[in-house]
Amino acid sequence: MDPDGFDDALGLSNDKSQNLGAYIYQPQKHGKAGERPSKRRKVSASGNEKGHTDGRRFVPLLNGDENAQSVQLRHDSYQQLWSEQEHKIQAILEDVDAGVLTEVSSFVRDTSPQTCNGCIPTALVTVGSNVSSLSRLLSRLNDQLISTEEGSVVVLESGDAPNLKTALKNIIRATVTNTDGNDGYQKFLTDRAGPRLLGYDLDLLHDYVQRKGTKKMVLALRDSEAFDTGLLTDLLSLFKSWIDRIPFTVLLGISTSVELFEGRLPRSCVALLQGKHFEVQEAGNCVDRIYESLQTDSNTKLWLGRNITSTLFENTSDYFQSPEAFSRMVKYAYMSHFFANPLAVLFANPDPTVLSRGKLCEVVRNLPSFRMFCEDLVEEGSTNQVRDMLENDDYLLQETISCLDAGQQRMRSIFQAVLAVHACLQYTQNTKKATVSDLSVRALSGELSDSTLVDEMMATTKALDSDKLDELLGRLQDILPNGQLGAIQVDLKTLLEKCPESGPLRSGYNINSTVTTTTVVQSRVQLSKGKAELSEQDFEYTKIIDQLVVFLEEYLTETLIKPQDMFLHEAFLFDLRNPLKETFAPRPRFAIERALATPFDYLLSSSDATTTKISSKQPATAILYQLYLESGALVNVHDLWQAFNGVFENEKGDGCDDRVVMSLFYSALSELKTFGVIKNSRKKTDHLAKSAWMGL
Amino acid sequence: MKRKLSDSGETPAVSTPKRRRTALEQANGALNGHAPTHPPPNGDATYELPPSQRDQSTPKKANGISATPLKESGLKTPTHKSKARGLFATPTKPKSATAATPSRVKNADRSAKKKSARVLFEQDEDAAWDGSEQLAEEILQGDESDTEKAAPPLADSIEADHEEAAEKGAKQPKRRAGRPKGARNKRSPTPEGELPAHERYFFQNRAGPVKTSNANLNKVSLLTHEEYFEKLGQYEDPCRDEKEYLLSLHHRSFPQWAFEFDEGFNICIFGYGSKRKLVEQFADWTYNHSLSTTAPPSIIIVNGYTPGISIRSVFATIVTAVMGDDVPSKLGAQPTEVLELLQSVLKSRGENEEPVTVLINSIDAPPLRRAANQALLARLAATPRIRLLVTADTPNFPVMWDISLRDQLNLVFHDCTTFLPFSAEADVVEEVHSLLGRKGRRVGGKEGVGFVLKSLPENARNLYRLLLTELITVMDDGNQSDDEAPADGGKADETGIEFRQLYQKATEEFVASSEMMFRTLLKEFHDHQMITSRMDASGGEILGVPLSRDEMEGVLEDLVLG
Repeated sequence: MDPDGFDDALGLSNDKSQNLGAYIYQPQKHGKAGERPSKRRKVSASGNEKGHTDGRRFVPLLNGDENAQSVQLRHDSYQQLWSEQEHKIQAILEDVDAGVLTEVSSFVRDTSPQTCNGCIPTALVTVGSNVSSLSRLLSRLNDQLISTEEGSVVVLESGDAPNLKTALKNIIRATVTNTDGNDGYQKFLTDRAGPRLLGYDLDLLHDYVQRKGTKKMVLALRDSEAFDTGLLTDLLSLFKSWIDRIPFTVLLGISTSVELFEGRLPRSCVALLQGKHFEVQEAGNCVDRIYESLQTDSNTKLWLGRNITSTLFENTSDYFQSPEAFSRMVKYAYMSHFFANPLAVLFANPDPTVLSRGKLCEVVRNLPSFRMFCEDLVEEGSTNQVRDMLENDDYLLQETISCLDAGQQRMRSIFQAVLAVHACLQYTQNTKKATVSDLSVRALSGELSDSTLVDEMMATTKALDSDKLDELLGRLQDILPNGQLGAIQVDLKTLLEKCPESGPLRSGYNINSTVTTTTVVQSRVQLSKGKAELSEQDFEYTKIIDQLVVFLEEYLTETLIKPQDMFLHEAFLFDLRNPLKETFAPRPRFAIERALATPFDYLLSSSDATTTKISSKQPATAILYQLYLESGALVNVHDLWQAFNGVFENEKGDGCDDRVVMSLFYSALSELKTFGVIKNSRKKTDHLAKSAWMGL
Repeated sequence: MKRKLSDSGETPAVSTPKRRRTALEQANGALNGHAPTHPPPNGDATYELPPSQRDQSTPKKANGISATPLKESGLKTPTHKSKARGLFATPTKPKSATAATPSRVKNADRSAKKKSARVLFEQDEDAAWDGSEQLAEEILQGDESDTEKAAPPLADSIEADHEEAAEKGAKQPKRRAGRPKGARNKRSPTPEGELPAHERYFFQNRAGPVKTSNANLNKVSLLTHEEYFEKLGQYEDPCRDEKEYLLSLHHRSFPQWAFEFDEGFNICIFGYGSKRKLVEQFADWTYNHSLSTTAPPSIIIVNGYTPGISIRSVFATIVTAVMGDDVPSKLGAQPTEVLELLQSVLKSRGENEEPVTVLINSIDAPPLRRAANQALLARLAATPRIRLLVTADTPNFPVMWDISLRDQLNLVFHDCTTFLPFSAEADVVEEVHSLLGRKGRRVGGKEGVGFVLKSLPENARNLYRLLLTELITVMDDGNQSDDEAPADGGKADETGIEFRQLYQKATEEFVASSEMMFRTLLKEFHDHQMITSRMDASGGEILGVPLSRDEMEGVLEDLVLG
């Protein structure tokens, strides 16, 4: 460790900048930097179009041998694919919000102090874990009100309100800048007749309201619970006294519950408010919908695999993620796929001449799924085809592209089947409802078709009566337009028409159609089960049921194959757990502990020093940390120093200057202190207290 | 014995009742084992043995043999012995008399054997960890062989026993002297074998006296700033190449980061080591790979570790970078005002303008750590056309952000362990000294005090001389009165002289004529951290000097001679 030598080498300008709080970066004039600008010029000359330059963010893959067009194609297909998905997500979010938005906006429009007995009209919005929804809601409400020139929404956060004056000042400024911009605010302050008012005077706001003819002045407190209670009380009582001049409406975002929030406020304050309670839909629901639409849509080209799906839902439940955060993670998965997978170029449906063919074919031939595919083909006896694929690049590419299409088609049908199962479950399952995402996880791991869930579903389907079956068939028909299914439905229809009077028909599998007879034989009771007499219609109906069950079974086993068995699944199924998990749920403490406890995990040492023993070859902090790990809850600094010094002395003998070692000890100690693993102990002189245990 | 138990007040109250009880039993057992009621094995008159002699002969055994189970109870505090002596007020006899009768030795051996057997019998976890069980087993076996040996002719056995006892007597004190002070209190902090983390935590935090040595850093001269930097400069880093390689690995992901920026994510990099250099390289890279062909990109670097950095100044710098010369003359005092100005400016700028890149080093450094600051930074991060890259050094930094902040920050995390030292981020020497509680050392030391004294008037110097003289006298007296007590590390700091007493002396010597004047003089010392002052139990003020005894003597010498 030699910060000095290191930093001296970096030059003096560096030393200066490191002590500045914040500065604007200026490129260094000397050294390597000299070459860089020329590079930049070269690139800017080649890529004149904006669309083209974007692609440069992507690095050529395949050891850098990928050609520029392919890189560009990957980038473009990412943009196209994701923008489609993003639209879908936005639509869902808007749809989810729509209900609350109309409610809240009609509340804002319809209420006034007069309708509220002179109190401040208040909308209490409980958001629960869905924190981001409120800001979406508010910004849309704001847009609505501004466009109709009724007023505006001002959002106040707890951070903006350290005291009453600042809070008021912020409210007034935000109100004015919301419509007139920053310059407008400055003008507004200076261009007034009469004495100049201070920034927190509500007269200013009154003035503004009169000038603009504002009818609704919505003040939204996004995190009401975080506000200081006293401040909130003052603020509200102030609003109350101005309410005859400024048409306030207060909107409180609440993450716990209305009762808890009310409990914190004094009665006198609560008495000032009158309003209504709104509830925003929980995030989980929304997330399920997003996932469903992303995966099952008929235009989907890239699917998220089983690992990713479970990671996504794990994160959502563990960290209370908002739907936005969820979609960001999905986005990141898409990004990773197109950024790092050379096969992603196939999505652009490229003209084979543009691609760097040799390399791409090599890639395809090295895929595990290609191997399986070839083995299957050989078993089937089409050795020629395999030979062609191995030897003829053109043929392989052609085949690859068609296989990709076929594979995507199969994926779509898998998700169709998932939807079908889900629909059936709606009718058959009465206890716990399995969500589409649960079913998808099973389907993606190829376990759905022989899961108990499906077995039970089949069993219950058999027992359905004709009314329910009719509905179910209708639903299934929507999901899977299929001739056989249609025929079954027609049969059922005709059967029902034949006997319109006899109520719902029951199949032979229904419990009600099994009759238990009780016979007394020699003072013993004998129970015997037997089929109840089935009417002719019921018998017909049972046949129809049988047909349906057979159809469903066949359909499911045929469609629900394991996605990993498909050729080219590497291209259209993204299932790497890792970039996603590490980027969104990092474990920084683990990383630091690992770096310090086993530094050679990171520092690939060329020498043989990779043993686990503490040695002076390791960075000083790592040595000290390992000694620290061996110590008890209380550490004697002197002994620690002796041990530390010992590590160096043992290996270097007399040749080491113990003052140098001491300086290393110092830097290591200060780093450990910065990490918060040690602190000064008052129990004994020159002792440190341990405050972190590795692995806890 | 029981009184002794309750007397040894140093037994921490935290020790569990169960342990206490077993300790008591053991103590009682030990008493029984030694007590006259125990049938004399050889018919030798053990009855007459005065307790003090018993005390003389057994402790060594007890120490060497069965101290460990006792230790567990926390009974074996350093004062134990002296207390015991105080209880049996018989004058001590010379040691040579101890091993006189072989039967006594045998007795002692036997009782040790009993104790060992008990230890083996009453195995508990703690003992297993400490290895006392093993010790007990060794003793038991060793004694068995002893007694076997003792079977042959009596004279021989006596001889042998005698020799053995002498040997033991000679060996054990030596071993004790060889150990560092307080080492007999030591429990091994690392239990044998691999423990899961939580077990380790409970093991290391179990109740009981502190089991560390009493060594302190008084003899070690600490580093000054100058020496620290000088010496660190001489160090040859064995991992330099590996660190360079690590950095180059991270360098490779710059295009990825840029792509993430393009897609609206902000980036947080964490991991061990200073990431300042990496951030700088990224700034270079971003500058040179800017997509815009017209204007150079605006990149702002913030050093979060700078003491006294304000969030407003950060925002103001960004505004300057964005607006160039059009910055309004008055930005507003509140950070929110500046932030809103920035947001409105960015909003009014066109879609195609180059985004602003803000790179923050050490976002979790103390100056930026406050919740209010983090909330403001999150709002900055949520601003469109702002790209934020932050670095975090501490292990638990994610706790700074709650879900709504996380949502606003919209971060992707990358592990960028660099292993580079935090040379700019931390004031190493200062940090370490504050960690060791030696703030005063830096100002003073012997030289510092001497230097200050030179610039003070005669009166003040006389007072300091007086103070030092008194302190040294007190120290000498103290050592005479209980020279047996181990020279504790904390002793030097603790010696002090009462305020009143010193004042009296000062008036006697005509150093200070009034208390006012006396206090004025003391204040001068206080200001230079040349004296310490604390309250004792009765509320009197005790004055001391933050110097070691050697240093005190040196200063006093200079004062008297000068």
